[in-house]
Amino acid sequence: MPYPPPTMSTPKKKAAPKKKELVKRATFDPEQRVVAITGAYSFMGAELIKRLERDRRYYKVLAVDVRKPTFPLHKTQFHKVDLTLPTADADLAAIWKREGVDTVVHAAFLSSPTHAAAWAHELESIGTMHVLNAAAECQVRKLVVWSQTIVYGAHPLNPNFLTEEHPLRGDASRSRYVKDKVEAEKQVQRFRKENTDTIVTTLRTAATLGPTIRNFATRFFARPMAPTLMGYDPLMQFVHERDAVDAFALAVDHDYPGEFNVVGEGVLPYSTILAMMGKVPLPMPHFLAYPLSQALWATQVFDSPPNFLDFLRFLCVADGAKARRVMGFTPRWDIKTTIQDFLGLSAPVAQVVEGGV
Amino acid sequence: MAGKQILGDDPFGTGDAPAPAAKKKKEKKIESETAAENAAESASAAASEVAHEAAPEADEDRDALDSDGENGTYAPAAAQPPSEYGPSIDQPPVAKHSGLVDEIKHLEHSVRERILPARSGEHGGERQRLPLEFLWKRWRELAMRDRSDVVDEFGRDPNVAARVEPLLDFLYRQYFRVSTRGLGHIPDDGRGLIVANHSGTLPYDGAMIMYGIRHEHSAHREVRPLVEDFVFHFPYLGTLMNRIGGVRAAPENAERLLNQDQLVAVFPEGIKGIGKLFRERYQLQRFGRGGFIKLALKCDAPIIPTAVVGAEEIHPMLSKITWLARSVGIPYLPVTPTFPLLGPIGLLPLPTKWFIAFGEPLYYNAEYGPEGANDRILVNKLAEQVRNKIQSMIDSLLKERRSILFG
Repeated sequence: MPYPPPTMSTPKKKAAPKKKELVKRATFDPEQRVVAITGAYSFMGAELIKRLERDRRYYKVLAVDVRKPTFPLHKTQFHKVDLTLPTADADLAAIWKREGVDTVVHAAFLSSPTHAAAWAHELESIGTMHVLNAAAECQVRKLVVWSQTIVYGAHPLNPNFLTEEHPLRGDASRSRYVKDKVEAEKQVQRFRKENTDTIVTTLRTAATLGPTIRNFATRFFARPMAPTLMGYDPLMQFVHERDAVDAFALAVDHDYPGEFNVVGEGVLPYSTILAMMGKVPLPMPHFLAYPLSQALWATQVFDSPPNFLDFLRFLCVADGAKARRVMGFTPRWDIKTTIQDFLGLSAPVAQVVEGGV
Repeated sequence: MAGKQILGDDPFGTGDAPAPAAKKKKEKKIESETAAENAAESASAAASEVAHEAAPEADEDRDALDSDGENGTYAPAAAQPPSEYGPSIDQPPVAKHSGLVDEIKHLEHSVRERILPARSGEHGGERQRLPLEFLWKRWRELAMRDRSDVVDEFGRDPNVAARVEPLLDFLYRQYFRVSTRGLGHIPDDGRGLIVANHSGTLPYDGAMIMYGIRHEHSAHREVRPLVEDFVFHFPYLGTLMNRIGGVRAAPENAERLLNQDQLVAVFPEGIKGIGKLFRERYQLQRFGRGGFIKLALKCDAPIIPTAVVGAEEIHPMLSKITWLARSVGIPYLPVTPTFPLLGPIGLLPLPTKWFIAFGEPLYYNAEYGPEGANDRILVNKLAEQVRNKIQSMIDSLLKERRSILFG
């Protein structure tokens, strides 16, 4: 049996890092890497762990979350750390130092807005601060952070394709959910400036669809009806769940410092997407839709904050050219096949083998 | 018995028939119930027999059987009044089922027969297996019938564009009778920046330039007009402009298009051009901040100065109301001889005769290089040059023109 790697099974190895306590930074051995993943229970974290479990270049994976992943773990250690607790950074730093972590993947973000705004702020903004503190303390070699293209915000002045250099205007929308993500991104940008030795990769995924992922977009498009704003029909883009995980695996495998938009090929108008999915559009004038949405959100009837209507009104489409050029990330699903795969209408484009355990 | 009459005479309960029938039913409740128990078995057996016989047979046979069954059961039953002491002997055996439950059972059976005609048939079999999937598929086909599932990256939908084409054709050939000159100045391939004067309250001029080059130019090139924010974010209008090829006027979008070697049409007068009063017609407004010059210098694109004559008279705007318009979010409300006097009809454009002249391309990049885009004073000077060039083209066209409506 090739797995787990021979070096892992002996208890001698556990003592080994203790000798290295004086060395601040773990020596980087490309064949024996230790990866820590926060948000291991989330889709992105869990899928990434599944891939790293199969990859012999990775010696150990540290899964950090409040819930243990449900699939069997072989070379993955689970550590229960609540990022909202005030001492989370010290806990993380202690674990990571002990295990000699060289790469940290920060995926502990919410994938859909919540009414528990205070808790969400603690998790996303303060949690990111804890992770960055711990990463700075351990001097990790690489940090990969998950973000979303909604941080650009749906703004009337957006060009058709938002590049990575575009200012993050998501916080102008007064949506707590987007604001927390923008705050997290700004902290990461500051971290990048202060810790020049660390390779910092930010992956901004577009709305992710697929047969197994569950997030705001899949819930929105699973309903039989969808609201539309009368007269507005912006272009939208998606990324397939497998492609998104591919991008994370690429960023963990190789070193690509910088921010990257992880988006699928092609755009479609919102109305066409609804027609392809067979949804019944619910047209509403925008001046009525905003207060109505506000009321439904305030009474907790509906799960999308009123500011999300901006995304049904203005453009928020990101340009994936940089990821294609620098990372060599080529999405295997375009927007049409992504939608078809989401609906279960066609077989996946490529044989997917990396997800299984 | 009474139930049969309800369904037989007036299946949806719209007439007077049910009332006496219901009364009778109350009176004969016990009899009908006992009778129903006896009759139910025979009736359902007969119905199922009919069904089983029908199923394997061919279509025309089944049709014939269906109609037979209907005549046999319902028509005579409706004609005959219910007897007081149970079913009469004269009644045909098929109509023996009595009571509402039986009636509904029979009806259900015949309806099922009609909806799901044969289990062996191709379509019937599919429909029986996936009734909702089938409906869902049909609904999606219906929703997608006049749109394309592939749009270009700026949102031009070929199917929607094809549907608007006849309207543009009518406007171009019959309504405005556009005549073009200087089409040879537009390159057959490679990038180009068409710079034109803007007017007309609604952006007809962009559509006419687009249509003219697509149909009259030797290479049938596509032009992507840049649409200013006010129009682009106007409900319905902006969406339509986007589907037929319009692009939001942003420097990033224009650069991307030019780097793809496309033709881009810009109207540097912008919103000031659209909102020109009638007395200001054919007097070019300030050319923005010279963004189009920067584009041309950066992307090495030739500028093709273009004059549109005729468009500035389609909506002779006498004045504009701004205070009212601001409150609903538009820059101004036009006042023309017909609008708002005649309501929406007043928004019909005047059928003027149009001339579109394309001038010689200006290659500023060869002269000043891409770094010239950072020289503000140079950019403004070049913008003014282009403006004067277009103004003189307009003036010479106006001199030739004798009539607004007939050219």
